[in-house]
Amino acid sequence: MNGQTTAAIVKQKLTWSRYKFPESLWSFGTILAVLVFLAYSLHFLKIDVLMMLGALGKLGGVVAARFYPPELTYVTDPGYLASILDTLQMSFLGGILGVFLAIPLAWFSAWNVSPHRAIFFPIGRLGVISCRAIHETIWTILFVSVLGFGMLAGVSALTMFCIGFAGKLFSDEIEAVDMGPVEAMRAAGANSFQVFIYAVVPQVRVAFTGIAIYTWDVAFRAATVVGFFGGGGMGWYLKRNVQQLENLRVGAIILSIIAMVLVAEFISGWLRSAVNRAK
Amino acid sequence: MAIVQCHSNGLPLQIDTQIGLRRKRQMRMALIWGGFLLFAAWCLNGTIVEDTDWSRIGGRNGVFASLGRYLTIDWTLLPELIVPTIETFMMASVGTVLGCFFSLPVAWLGAVNVTPNKTILYPLARFLMVISRSVHEIVWALIFVSAVGLGALPGVLAIAMRSVGFISKITAEAIENIDAKPVEAIRATGGNEFQVMYYGILPQIYPVVLATVIFEWDINIRRSAVMGLVGAGGLGLLFFRQMNSFNYGGVSMVILSILLLIVLGEIISHYLRKAVI
Amino acid sequence: MSVLSVRNLRVRYTAKGPEILKGIDFDVEGDDFLAMIGPSGAGKSTLIRCVNRLVEPTGGQITLLGQDVCALNARQLRGLRRNVGMIFQEFNLINRMSVMDNVLSGRLGYTSNIRSLFRHFPKKDISQALDYLDRVGLGDHINKRADELSGGQRQRVGIARALMQQPKLLLLDEPTSALDPKISREVMALILSIAKELGVPTLCNIHDVQLAKEFCNRIIGLQDGHKKFDGATATLRESDLEEIYAMEVL
Repeated sequence: MNGQTTAAIVKQKLTWSRYKFPESLWSFGTILAVLVFLAYSLHFLKIDVLMMLGALGKLGGVVAARFYPPELTYVTDPGYLASILDTLQMSFLGGILGVFLAIPLAWFSAWNVSPHRAIFFPIGRLGVISCRAIHETIWTILFVSVLGFGMLAGVSALTMFCIGFAGKLFSDEIEAVDMGPVEAMRAAGANSFQVFIYAVVPQVRVAFTGIAIYTWDVAFRAATVVGFFGGGGMGWYLKRNVQQLENLRVGAIILSIIAMVLVAEFISGWLRSAVNRAK
Repeated sequence: MAIVQCHSNGLPLQIDTQIGLRRKRQMRMALIWGGFLLFAAWCLNGTIVEDTDWSRIGGRNGVFASLGRYLTIDWTLLPELIVPTIETFMMASVGTVLGCFFSLPVAWLGAVNVTPNKTILYPLARFLMVISRSVHEIVWALIFVSAVGLGALPGVLAIAMRSVGFISKITAEAIENIDAKPVEAIRATGGNEFQVMYYGILPQIYPVVLATVIFEWDINIRRSAVMGLVGAGGLGLLFFRQMNSFNYGGVSMVILSILLLIVLGEIISHYLRKAVI
Repeated sequence: MSVLSVRNLRVRYTAKGPEILKGIDFDVEGDDFLAMIGPSGAGKSTLIRCVNRLVEPTGGQITLLGQDVCALNARQLRGLRRNVGMIFQEFNLINRMSVMDNVLSGRLGYTSNIRSLFRHFPKKDISQALDYLDRVGLGDHINKRADELSGGQRQRVGIARALMQQPKLLLLDEPTSALDPKISREVMALILSIAKELGVPTLCNIHDVQLAKEFCNRIIGLQDGHKKFDGATATLRESDLEEIYAMEVL
């Protein structure tokens, strides 16, 4: 049987070419289109390619010339130290508010347990998406223009940011739950709120705690710059020194931001592993 | 009742120990929550109660009045919007591709199973990944604006630098998780290091890498829309100008076009991801 | 002169770890189809991987095609490896590439970096690949992706890839243990007939004694890093098998 088919093929004499008529044309075309788009973008944005690639080589030199040696004593300035504390408080508060507002929105926007697919589902999705779509700095500017300079605007902006960030992760988590308990609760005549509390929350509790901690970590990174646009905290010092061209101080501030973010990342990693162990 | 008695020979199911355990657990949770709420209250006091000048906001009416200014959308801005919108989109795309290029060597050095040098280059690559992710894109943009001047270039570079961390981290993880068998096969045919990488490793990781790059591109559109706030071109610059000239309708219009661009990006990336997987 | 001669080969993976091979000697002659049998953990896979130095030996000497394998530098080693075709237990194909590209990857040792970058192989190699694919019965599957094939078909791709190297020695690492009995027999028969046709000596790790007796002219029995039997298939007695597999009964 096998011998026969082999013999039949030999008669036709096999041929092979990497080029295959419609498929190869499509893939070459796509690659070409992407390349043309990128090249045109460079032209449109008036970017000098050599300068772009050279900029990274130059980066070390520029950083060394402008930001080195960073004026590390500036970091110990009491006003600046207080602003670090402010940043921490803002990120924490924004994180808490964002997470608490995100939970109902995530519940609404999870297709499998949404209380009403025609009304609440779109509300939840739209809420989460629009919080996510707008960058935290734009939220800051908007809140500053409504609420004035200060940490209230910063906290509000961070809240919006956290709703978008945590809401997406929460609703993904809810959509992945085991539907067995949900069906059991529905069969027992529970309404959708009861279903959420009894069938969904126990399954996602640990994951939510982890996500909430991660949200705080990300909110802290965002909090380091909201001050740049009037939201209070470390960013305000960054802006002032950038405008006064105090580059050595800017270098010190950036270094301290990196250090703080690393500390926050370390704490959040440790907390998350503690939560996972305790579950 | 009979069942309880069966278990009452000093087993943990005994009622007293059960209640004791429960109480202990409740106490611990109460402590955690109490500490948490106290900390939150301290934060609330520090940031909002003490820092806010309520009289300046002007009560509820004041807030509604300032919100109301945003509701009239300034459609006359439309012709001015087109070029910055395209610019934003292009900055995100070029930045992502550039970030991809930078990520490849970093991922290679930072994957423990292929790194050429474990004592120096591996920690260096890991350090670069952390730095890239922990510095906010606005800060990156500030650094590059000071290095290469105003325009789209610092924006592209900032986006690229900010993307490197995530892309190279995921790529390095993918390299660490590859199946070693095809690699062994290529090595057995006499392939050199480059061929082992290109035929043994790359085909295994490229779906993960492409999906990550598409995901990052999607995020980079958001980032690229704010680059202009610190002088790096695109929609952010227009937003800044409208805000500074108190043209709130214009601000709303810019935000609308950002939303439109992001929805567009989300749709494209959805289909691209489907095509890749 | 023999194609491969192994003298007092010793391997341990870590300096303080257990010794996997404890002084193995054997030769492979020009027309051998040599089977290596033994319980799992006896060191068969390690031994076969020492021949092309996928595993570094810790002691002893391997002479392959007149070269001292252990003394080669990286470039010389690659030159040697391309003369040794290898067929693997789990096929070790590149799953996301087409059958054709997998077969062509057997030529990598002969291909420059630039050509490999664009996967642009010489015409001669492509027509050679087509011949071998035809020979192993995969003429209809050239453009399929490797992971679309069945186990037996994948192993046939593996065979074609090894043949592309124009090997002077074939190493078979448990080529049939991932296949069902009927396909195993087909694959072994195919390898045997091709090896005879091209006059390539073959060294084969095999778990299945029945298959070894059926296809191979010589058998080496390994147990716990020691050689327990070496002789023509006809001279292998039940008592020898019992000795080789003594540990596995436990």
